[in-house]
Amino acid sequence: MTKTPYAELLAMLSRHRGVVGSFVVSERDGLAVDSNVQIGVQAEAVAALAASLHRKARLACGAAGCGIVTFLRLDAEKGGICAAGRDDLVLVTISEARANIGLLRVEMMRAAKALT
Amino acid sequence: MPEEIRRLSDDLARDPSSLVFMRLADALRRAGQLDVALRVAVRGLDRHPYLPDAHDVLARIHADRGDLERASDEWEMALRLDPSHAQANLGLGFVEFRRGDLESAERRLSTVPPAEQTPGVAAALAHVRSALGARPGNGAAVVVPNGSPPAEPVRTSPRSTPLVPEFPPPDPSRTKQLFDSALDGSDQHALLVDADGLVLAGAYTDGSGNDIADVIAAELAGVSSEAERAMRHLGLGAWASLLVEADEAIVAMTPAPNGSVLVVTASRRTPVGLVRLLLDRALGRARDWLVRVS
Repeated sequence: MTKTPYAELLAMLSRHRGVVGSFVVSERDGLAVDSNVQIGVQAEAVAALAASLHRKARLACGAAGCGIVTFLRLDAEKGGICAAGRDDLVLVTISEARANIGLLRVEMMRAAKALT
Repeated sequence: MPEEIRRLSDDLARDPSSLVFMRLADALRRAGQLDVALRVAVRGLDRHPYLPDAHDVLARIHADRGDLERASDEWEMALRLDPSHAQANLGLGFVEFRRGDLESAERRLSTVPPAEQTPGVAAALAHVRSALGARPGNGAAVVVPNGSPPAEPVRTSPRSTPLVPEFPPPDPSRTKQLFDSALDGSDQHALLVDADGLVLAGAYTDGSGNDIADVIAAELAGVSSEAERAMRHLGLGAWASLLVEADEAIVAMTPAPNGSVLVVTASRRTPVGLVRLLLDRALGRARDWLVRVS
């Protein structure tokens, strides 16, 4: 299997406490470019949902004059999704409630700048 | 008074988390520095949102500014936190009296136990009862405790008239300001949007002052439905909040009662954690308001 340029980046994010999966997703079509997920995580479904959510948020922020979306966090009862985008590519993590979101956010925003 | 304000300001500067903000805000209010008093009280409430006395101080500031609607909201909040809060009952009684709702005012003031009745409460109660007794016949304007005339003419219906609801129905013209006291600056906006993407309350203006609330509501409603769908598929439970950071602003959303969604936006200068706090505060107001509306 070919190793993508994002493998190390995704491995680093997946080592964070509470992170059960990380992805690089194409926002345009919702397909996962690369992923690093624990067993049981439906990578394709997460990728598609995260891409769709990021796209909606980007369009809404554009309409509202808020500028370009740099980070997105969706919180739920048992965990959440974080996404940081650059052009068409979006870096996504799915995490449990025990994750340190502040640290994850900083790492993701830094990593997103390296997405090409 | 300036010496007291200076001393309290120094105390607060030394320990910003201190509860001295309540005394400082009240001292500023009494000195007539209402804008500064408002800022001090609002910032203090950011740190201590569950202090009934702090809501009472903020209510007094609003009342002194002539904003009885917001004053009423804050006193109601104080009573939710402490149902026996005498000053909040007194304040709401005052507001009801100003609105000409003497029955409600009398009922409100009567809830203060005699043992806790300050001379001020007793005097206010006596004044209301006196006005109620004098009302049916002469039609004379009632004079409120501070000596100024009531904001609206006092109704002269007999006492046998059924009591009006304890809280008046919301004024549609005020719904745009519903979240003003929950926010912390002019660069922050809040909107309550129904399930169809229609604005229920709040306001959103762009940099040119144009009202774009409808556009924002319609666009962001799609985001909330997407969030709900994502969480359902992932089995992570109900979504609690969505925070979007963009170049120019931070947008936070959370589900509100009756399928509505609350949206708060703030400029990038606002710390991300504070936006979540503002969202929680605005959600409290939205819940209260929806209860009153429905």
